[in-house]
Amino acid sequence: MTNVLAIRRKAERLSREAMYDIVRAPLITEKATALSEKNQVVFKVAIDATKPEIKVAVETLFGVKVLGVNTLVQKGKTKRFKGRPGQRSDIKKAFVQLAEGQSIDLTAKLG
Amino acid sequence: MQVTETLSEGLKRGFTVTVPAAEIESKRAARLKEVGASMRLPGFRPGKVPTSIVRQRHGAAVQGEVLEQTVNDATQSVLNERGLRPATQPKVDLVSGAEPDANGDLEFNIELEVLPEIAQPDLSDLSLTRLKATPNAETVDKALADIAKRQRSFEDIEETRPAVQGDVLMVDFLGKVEGVAFDGGTAEDVNVEIGGEGFIPGFAEQIEGMSPGDEKVITVTFPADYQATELAGKEATFDIKAKGLKRAIDPALDDELAKKIGFEGLEQVRELITKQVADEYEQLSRLRIKRELLDALALKTDFEAPQGMVEAEFAQIWARVESDRKAGQLDEEDVGKDEDTLRADYRKIAERRVKLGLLLAEIGRANQITVSQDEMMRAVRAEAMRYPGQEQAVFEFFGRNPQAAESLRGPIFENKVVDYVIELAKVEDKEVTPEELAEIPPADLS
Repeated sequence: MTNVLAIRRKAERLSREAMYDIVRAPLITEKATALSEKNQVVFKVAIDATKPEIKVAVETLFGVKVLGVNTLVQKGKTKRFKGRPGQRSDIKKAFVQLAEGQSIDLTAKLG
Repeated sequence: MQVTETLSEGLKRGFTVTVPAAEIESKRAARLKEVGASMRLPGFRPGKVPTSIVRQRHGAAVQGEVLEQTVNDATQSVLNERGLRPATQPKVDLVSGAEPDANGDLEFNIELEVLPEIAQPDLSDLSLTRLKATPNAETVDKALADIAKRQRSFEDIEETRPAVQGDVLMVDFLGKVEGVAFDGGTAEDVNVEIGGEGFIPGFAEQIEGMSPGDEKVITVTFPADYQATELAGKEATFDIKAKGLKRAIDPALDDELAKKIGFEGLEQVRELITKQVADEYEQLSRLRIKRELLDALALKTDFEAPQGMVEAEFAQIWARVESDRKAGQLDEEDVGKDEDTLRADYRKIAERRVKLGLLLAEIGRANQITVSQDEMMRAVRAEAMRYPGQEQAVFEFFGRNPQAAESLRGPIFENKVVDYVIELAKVEDKEVTPEELAEIPPADLS
């Protein structure tokens, strides 16, 4: 049984440096831009980041109120290079639901 | 689009143009849509990139493009509406709205010079003199004699006596510089004309008086401008061995000689030379009448020359003068003058050239003189002939660079206009001697 409370508590204690490690990059795709209608933004995040951590990181770094976070892990494809099998890294995507009226300018540099 | 005239002074015109923001915005949107339709971006199907992202990535470039186009269009329409013919490229100054993310109205200033109103000069009252010269027998004879001289043969002189002026001495020689034989300094059985030219100065003189069989060492100094630079200015010794005495025989001017150089008879050679000389005179005559015509036309240029064009022309001339001066090849006339006088002189020349150019262009325009495709082709071909062996490359060059071909058009057009004017003008023929014809008229201002 996962200790949800422990994970939340850990997320509260995140340092700013650690937050930069969690939110890797915005995911800019057709689907992701379409989701901006529902006031959702999509990020690539660290594979071991938890939902509470992502929520805290996005709230602190972008100064917004996050209502919820959904995540998924996209498994890396098996690729062959010169006949040798290789594995692409898995990617964790985080779909972040922002509170109404709030937005994130993905082109702006992080402060 | 709102246009206000801010300056109208002489040939100068100035306008302030304001283009409303909405107009620019709609153009920008249209352009962004166009870009988006063909854009490929990872994460998006081709052509499905949302406008906001297209703007984010290409906004600045599109803005610049739209601005440039708007400015060009606006300038063009200002000129068209007012029927202005610009003499120089209009100078455009953006006042506001030029920033990549500006949303306000676009405002810019146009400054330009217009072509002056050129009144058609009355060409029929121009009176010109066409100088003509006919080749005289003397010139032809001289040319013939030159040909004969090149064909002369040598006849051995049997007796053994010291060579005198006019004789030809057959020698072997071995040339040395600082005691070492040099390339090309050794030859056998060379015919040297005593007192003749073509050798190192002093060479022919020093072997005067040698008899066949004599041997002698002479010392000569190569001239400082000798074509073989490693020898120029050096002192060389030549071991000379005289082998035979000869006499040069100029062949008689007859059909025999003509046949020898590939013609049917002496008459034919004579005719050919006469024709060549006549052609030469013809060209000179044309040059002279053109100069006279330009001088006459220059008096009729009572309009103001656009300063911009004069400046450009002057800059070109001045650059050439400067480079001449650096190379130390300034015209003798200009050597004594100081910079200011020189500048003033050349500025005058530039102004005259611009005015004449404008006047000729105007005459050509008013009389529908154009340069046909055919004539262009001929000019290109003539240009290609100047580079034997590379004709193909020249053709390709002109094919690929229309501007270069355009530069050939200018002189053709000028010549056609000049021809046209000469036809209209009163032309008086005047017989002159060839020397008078070749005289270069003073005041080279054209």
